[in-house]
Amino acid sequence: MTTDEVALPDLDPVIHAPARLRLMASLAALDDGDRIAFPRLQALQDLTAGNLGAHLRKLEDAGYVAVEKTHRGRTPATYVSLTRRGRQALEDHTAALRALLAPVTARASRSQAQEG
Amino acid sequence: MDASTPRSTAPVDDDAPLDPRDALALLDAEHTRTQRQLVPDLRLLYGVWGAAWLVGFLALWSSATGRGPLVLPAAVAGTTFALLLGAAVVVTGVHSARRLAGVRGTSSTQGAMYGWAWLLGFGCVASLIAAAAGAGASAEVMGVLGPALSGLVVGLLYLAGGAMWQDRAQYSLGVWILVASAVGAVAGYPTDLLVMSLLGGGGFLVAAVVVALRGRSA
Repeated sequence: MTTDEVALPDLDPVIHAPARLRLMASLAALDDGDRIAFPRLQALQDLTAGNLGAHLRKLEDAGYVAVEKTHRGRTPATYVSLTRRGRQALEDHTAALRALLAPVTARASRSQAQEG
Repeated sequence: MDASTPRSTAPVDDDAPLDPRDALALLDAEHTRTQRQLVPDLRLLYGVWGAAWLVGFLALWSSATGRGPLVLPAAVAGTTFALLLGAAVVVTGVHSARRLAGVRGTSSTQGAMYGWAWLLGFGCVASLIAAAAGAGASAEVMGVLGPALSGLVVGLLYLAGGAMWQDRAQYSLGVWILVASAVGAVAGYPTDLLVMSLLGGGGFLVAAVVVALRGRSA
């Protein structure tokens, strides 16, 4: 039964931690072309500023989020958005999780689709 | 006080690996939760406007006809109407500003343009009504023009909003408000006030229930 022993997809360690998974899902809920202010994101996620900053840095280093520092009048403001690469990474991650959960049904429906 | 104590909603270990099933559930829940937090709650807005129209227009109709449950002196009825609609405007403004705060980009530009459409529409209605009064329109004509013009603007803007956000309930509410305004105008003053109260205000309240049910099944 070697056909059942397909390699399980690798899970992206940058995304696959609860806090960053939540963060990515939250940012993906923004419309394309939208960005969110750091304090609003902090309130939505219920994280401390330090925690949120640390997670964002990891995601930024991976190229998944864009952090834009700007000014509103005299006060500095930071806006965060998911990059195209980040959106793709989240989609791949979701697909990998689904494949992990239902490898047999996924392959069955795939072969059915090929027959039909 | 230990500053490193984790926040109550955060998992104990932020970097602990997740079970795939939990991870998928978390992704889904977080996506839905954020989407809801970033748009105004239409149950609240429709509910507030429905109550304001239902009671406000009923007070005007009762005081004009001496019938119904809210027979008040004309000045009191007028003030009640103005206060109720003013309160609805404030609730709408404060709630929407809170929900949309901190988001910049395409959707906030769209939202700002839509918000201005309401302001410009009602600015125009006010000047038309003032112009009609200045041109010597009778009390009957004024009593038809006010509700009908307001209903026209509200109905058309809900049609626009429904089209823009692909929201069938909002589009249907727009159609309903237009129908109520036309029916009221044809019925004439003061019956139009009763029509705006029951059909208009009632329509808002039905829309609030429809949105609430839709949210629960989603």
